[in-house]
Amino acid sequence: MSNSAPGVVGAKHWTVGRIARITVMVIVAAAFILPIIGFIAMAFRSQEGVLAGTDGFLGLGGVSWDNVVFSWSQINGFGPGDGGLFTRWVGNSLVIAIVGGVLALIAALPAGYALARLRFRGRKVLLFATLLAMVMPNTVLVIPLFLEVNAIGAVGQLWPVAVIMGFFPFGTYLVYIHFMTTMPQELVEAARIDGLSEISTFFYVALPISKQVVALVAFFSFVANWTNFFLPLALLTSNQENKTISIGIQELIGASPLFNATVAAGLDVKLYMPQLALATFISMIPLLIVFLTAQRFLMRGQTVGAVKG
Amino acid sequence: MWGFQILEAPTLCSTPELIGEDYMSSSTLATKGTEPPATGPRASTTPRRHRTRHAESRGAWILLAPYLALLLVAAAIPIGYAFWIALQKAPTLVDPSSGFGGFDSFITVITDYRFSGTFINIFSVMIVWLPLMMVGIVGLALLVHASPGRFGDTMRFFYFIPGALSGIANFVLWVYLLHPTQSPLAPLWQEVGFGSLKEIVTDGNMPMILTGMLFFQGVGTWIIVVNGGLNGIPDEIFEAAKIDGASAWDLAWHIKLPLIRPWIGYAALMNLAYGFQLFLEPYLLRQISSGAIAGEWAPTQLGYAFAFTNRNFPAAAALSIILLVITLSIGVVIVMKSGLFGDEKEKKR
Repeated sequence: MSNSAPGVVGAKHWTVGRIARITVMVIVAAAFILPIIGFIAMAFRSQEGVLAGTDGFLGLGGVSWDNVVFSWSQINGFGPGDGGLFTRWVGNSLVIAIVGGVLALIAALPAGYALARLRFRGRKVLLFATLLAMVMPNTVLVIPLFLEVNAIGAVGQLWPVAVIMGFFPFGTYLVYIHFMTTMPQELVEAARIDGLSEISTFFYVALPISKQVVALVAFFSFVANWTNFFLPLALLTSNQENKTISIGIQELIGASPLFNATVAAGLDVKLYMPQLALATFISMIPLLIVFLTAQRFLMRGQTVGAVKG
Repeated sequence: MWGFQILEAPTLCSTPELIGEDYMSSSTLATKGTEPPATGPRASTTPRRHRTRHAESRGAWILLAPYLALLLVAAAIPIGYAFWIALQKAPTLVDPSSGFGGFDSFITVITDYRFSGTFINIFSVMIVWLPLMMVGIVGLALLVHASPGRFGDTMRFFYFIPGALSGIANFVLWVYLLHPTQSPLAPLWQEVGFGSLKEIVTDGNMPMILTGMLFFQGVGTWIIVVNGGLNGIPDEIFEAAKIDGASAWDLAWHIKLPLIRPWIGYAALMNLAYGFQLFLEPYLLRQISSGAIAGEWAPTQLGYAFAFTNRNFPAAAALSIILLVITLSIGVVIVMKSGLFGDEKEKKR
């Protein structure tokens, strides 16, 4: 190995540096993945097995489908009467996350393009405002948003939450960066010379090379909407039917005998760690699907658009 | 801006030798023969430029309309409204009247016995979390970038998975990890002497717990962002450096790191601001700690308490505005300095 020519680009040899790099990366990956495997296994275990501590490494030995069936009956039984709140919460989250994501795309794509490739008075100010809005943590605005929605008497309804989520400055920024890096100004000029209007240029020249950034914005906004906690907590807590899954799980935690014996004692269903893990796991499935769909776009490095070649 | 644009006119042909024929033909094309015969490039382009500028500007505003509408509804109006509310008098049982209250609600907030404590709490977390976070993001992004091919891609994928679990899912995962008997880390917790969740989730452990939670859920997304920055660097730069005998370490430290500085600044900015918005984690940690963690641990929680427990909307609005001013100031400082929106980019347009 030491005989391989030094400095040869791309030569495959096991140097100390290479071994160290791979070791560090694998250890970090294990530290990220093993807890998640253990957590998913928890969703497939029984409370008895968890208490007995006999399920082996990461609890994988105690995994069974019967446990899932039982845990699901507990989760789905939560709520007044026959329960069923959980599925309703998931449905609410889907509606909010999808509507919010679509609004974010409709707003971010043209706006990001205009900011990147068009010149107009106020461009810098708007760019600055976008960046600030993006930097501004969304929970800082939750109380003002609550006051606004309260003023129009729409607290407890889903639509204001979806509309608010449609404002996604990070998406606009991503689109801005996308057009800055992949669409040369010359392309816009060429479109103008060909007689295209500014709007047509956006639709016929810019949009067709935006597949990757569409995937990015859709993905990030869906994830942000799905996992948003404070906004639905402030706007929807008052209406149990209209809660999203993120604040719904909070309610499940609050009803668990692990943390609140008094509340739990009054419930027909028992929500121990396996049930909480299963509820969480189910609530993550839509994210998983979106992630796997968007994965190839997320992982690709530089966009290869119409510009290259 | 406008002065700058006038200088920008010859961008179509930045090389001097093109200013002759080519420039003329392109300008004729653009105006579709409506211009009178040109006496010189400048004379012919000025009216055209005005017209296209106008169309360009109008097009831009049309394209921006949906975004602007949402910006108004979800940011500008609530902020303005919060200002107005903050200046109102909070009705109390003794004096149920409302009206203009000046800065009273700001004084109420700042003199609240919990106010400074909430900021001390989040600083105590940020001091541990932010440095770890930045080292983690940059280090792992560089490692991933130094590993082209399937291995690097797989690792990047693995690092991202916890990021997809953000929010409440990450929280429940950490409840599982922190549980002193049910966690895979249980032997460790017991070794340190923790017998119950209540002994782990204490005020003193909050910086460590929150660092763990925030690092775990945040680092993967930022690796992808910084990695995107790294992928934007032309390969020729690395090839040239390798030919010059640069080692992988030289490449990472002396070439990649300076080039992704804007991305690092951006990551630092976002994470710092994120620290001020902490809500979910302390809010839920209180829930599982049987009340050992204060209900108003973070500033956002204090705002929530003002709004929902005390029903003191002016105070809640005032606290939001204080947080807004802080996060906006951080934003302004780093946006100006991060280099992502610096002059270089403007000049390239």
